[in-house]
Amino acid sequence: MKVIDTNHDRWHEVTADDSLVAVPAAEPWSLLTITQWQAVRASWPADVPVGLIVPNDVDIETVVADLPRLRLVALCFPKWVDGRAYSQARLLRMRYRFPGEIRATGEVLVDMLPLMVRTGFDAALLRADQTLANARRALGFFAEGHYQGDVSETRPRFARPAAA
Amino acid sequence: MYRYTEFDRQFVHQRAAQFRDQLQRHFAGQLPDDDFRALRLQNGWYVQRHAPMLRVAVPYGELSSKQLRALGRIAREFDAREGGPYQDQRGGYGHFTTRQNCQYNWIALADAADVMDILADADMHGIQTSGNCIRNITSDCFAGVAADEIVDPRPYCEILRQWSTLHPEFAFLPRKFKIAVSGTLEDRAATAWHDIGLVLKKNEAGEIGFEVRVGGGMGRTPIIGTVVRDFLPWKEILVFIEAIVRVYNRYGRRDNSYKARIKILVKAEGQKFIDAVEAEFANIREHDVDGGAHLLTDAELARVSAHFELVPEGVTPSTGEPLDLFADAAARGPAYRRWLERNVHPHRIPGYRAVTLSLKRAGLAPGDATADQMDAAAALADRFSLGELRVSHDQNLVLPWIRESELAALWEAARAVGFATPNIGYLTDMIACPGGDLCALANARSLPIAAAINERFDDLDELHDIGDIDLHISGCINSCGHHHSGHIGILGVDKDGKEWYQVSLGGMDGSALSGGAAPGKVIGPSFAADEVPDVIEAVIDAYRGQRSAAAERFIDTVKRVGLEPFKAAANAVRRATAVHS
Repeated sequence: MKVIDTNHDRWHEVTADDSLVAVPAAEPWSLLTITQWQAVRASWPADVPVGLIVPNDVDIETVVADLPRLRLVALCFPKWVDGRAYSQARLLRMRYRFPGEIRATGEVLVDMLPLMVRTGFDAALLRADQTLANARRALGFFAEGHYQGDVSETRPRFARPAAA
Repeated sequence: MYRYTEFDRQFVHQRAAQFRDQLQRHFAGQLPDDDFRALRLQNGWYVQRHAPMLRVAVPYGELSSKQLRALGRIAREFDAREGGPYQDQRGGYGHFTTRQNCQYNWIALADAADVMDILADADMHGIQTSGNCIRNITSDCFAGVAADEIVDPRPYCEILRQWSTLHPEFAFLPRKFKIAVSGTLEDRAATAWHDIGLVLKKNEAGEIGFEVRVGGGMGRTPIIGTVVRDFLPWKEILVFIEAIVRVYNRYGRRDNSYKARIKILVKAEGQKFIDAVEAEFANIREHDVDGGAHLLTDAELARVSAHFELVPEGVTPSTGEPLDLFADAAARGPAYRRWLERNVHPHRIPGYRAVTLSLKRAGLAPGDATADQMDAAAALADRFSLGELRVSHDQNLVLPWIRESELAALWEAARAVGFATPNIGYLTDMIACPGGDLCALANARSLPIAAAINERFDDLDELHDIGDIDLHISGCINSCGHHHSGHIGILGVDKDGKEWYQVSLGGMDGSALSGGAAPGKVIGPSFAADEVPDVIEAVIDAYRGQRSAAAERFIDTVKRVGLEPFKAAANAVRRATAVHS
């Protein structure tokens, strides 16, 4: 799990108003909204690294066709207790085999990290008041694992060898 | 009962350590109230009207005597602890709930981590006893011993407990999510009233499967669950439930907490919801990495079953003629006879009975037990029931392994410690939530109403004449006291800052005695608190006047004659509302 340091993050959002901007020139490491992406998808070269911001009320199935073009999917926690993005992440990894980065954005607390690791996130942009030290602590429990299968251990405990 | 593996044991200790870390960060100012709330809730810690409340999970209602002593120790040492912030309160007790859990009302948050360590040492925890997550799995309190049992639900309950425990995707659902499992002809787990209700059954080939209902629930909008599968092969249960909960997590409403339960989604979407679940179920198995690995196996069922000792060592079925329990009843007096009739239940093993220890007695709130009483119940369990107890949905304790030959000795011992009130199934065996005395959500108090009714109906002969009846009392529309499913339901409401009580009739929990599951109907404007005992008495008198024979039960009379005679009787005793309304 990578904690994003905004000072050293090559990804950048494109803040222009969707409706006024003509198709922008291809710029690597752009993090686009779905509207922006749909506008440039046909014209940008396939090898330009692009990230997509997917709100948590969007059916993840609607972006599946784009996954081969995407290096990063940013999922959103508008409130930290809104758990929809966990399902989106899990589906991206386990059903659609997305190999790129899945980044948690929005209200991200260190106490969510253990759930994120297990549902397929590999990067998190923490809320400003969260500390790296606490993030490490939060990830330090349950070293012997969990009952269910998840993204890091895809079989449930009972289906793994030598389950006890 | 289920015995923890080393993995289970270190897991609850890890959870206690994680909670201690969160609590310390909270006290150090690094975890503000708003962030800490959801974390403490998922460990069972509410903050109530006056103090924190701890809800301890009793998975599917199974308790060992050792665990009950640990619960008693927590009541004694931590509930309204001397020197603590709540030392002036009447503490030192636990409250057993309709979801088979145990709650405390006066433990200081500063002691919370120590309490969780004590629980972990007794193979217990408060994981997911609150919060918008999958809650404690409930079941029939007679699971594994019921004479009418088709399939013992306990291993399936434990498998579901493990699956739901810290499921990473489903910790922050739109709203709470409750699952109940039954394996008998008679539904004693109110399965139809749950977000998911599972009933184990066998098909013609003798194979085991689940009838699956989704979208039952009480609250503001009482709804009976919809059957989405008549017979789901048992090996598919985890995947199927995963599909249901995923569809709910994605599409359940989050804009309005009153409309956020899965019942609203099921009602709004109907067949579309069922189609979505079936599609998700197929997708998991056909497309997901290791999707098929989540199907249960014979080996896993055998492994979990082996940890139960489904029939404990020391149980020896009788081979002789069935004992006539009532043979020596005359010599022991009418109280013993009544106790045999009310508190002693059939058992699947010849020579054994299950016995209810009544937690419904004058002077104590329904479901409450003091530290000493918990110790006393644990001692009874050790002496008579192989150290095992159950918490019932009706807020009593049950001893599941009683030899028929020891019933009289048990009765004497239970009577000596106040557990032998022979009122199981009677009017005074009521369900009640803690209400406005303790709960921050309540609009009105439940406990004084329960006490007043208890006082009014203190004659056992009269209770016997009234017969089987479910009285359920909730202090607010959240329905923790299940007023919707009571033959008589009482709901506390707030009007202009005063407590009023709505009375409904004809609700049913889903048992055969009731004839299915259905919400009750309100019989008119609310009553003032001091009118409620009169109203209940008027309703009971109306029943006695209307019943076709002494054997016709209250619920059957209500169904046959309708609400009108009861409305008229209740209205006749109105005083305050006649002026106010």
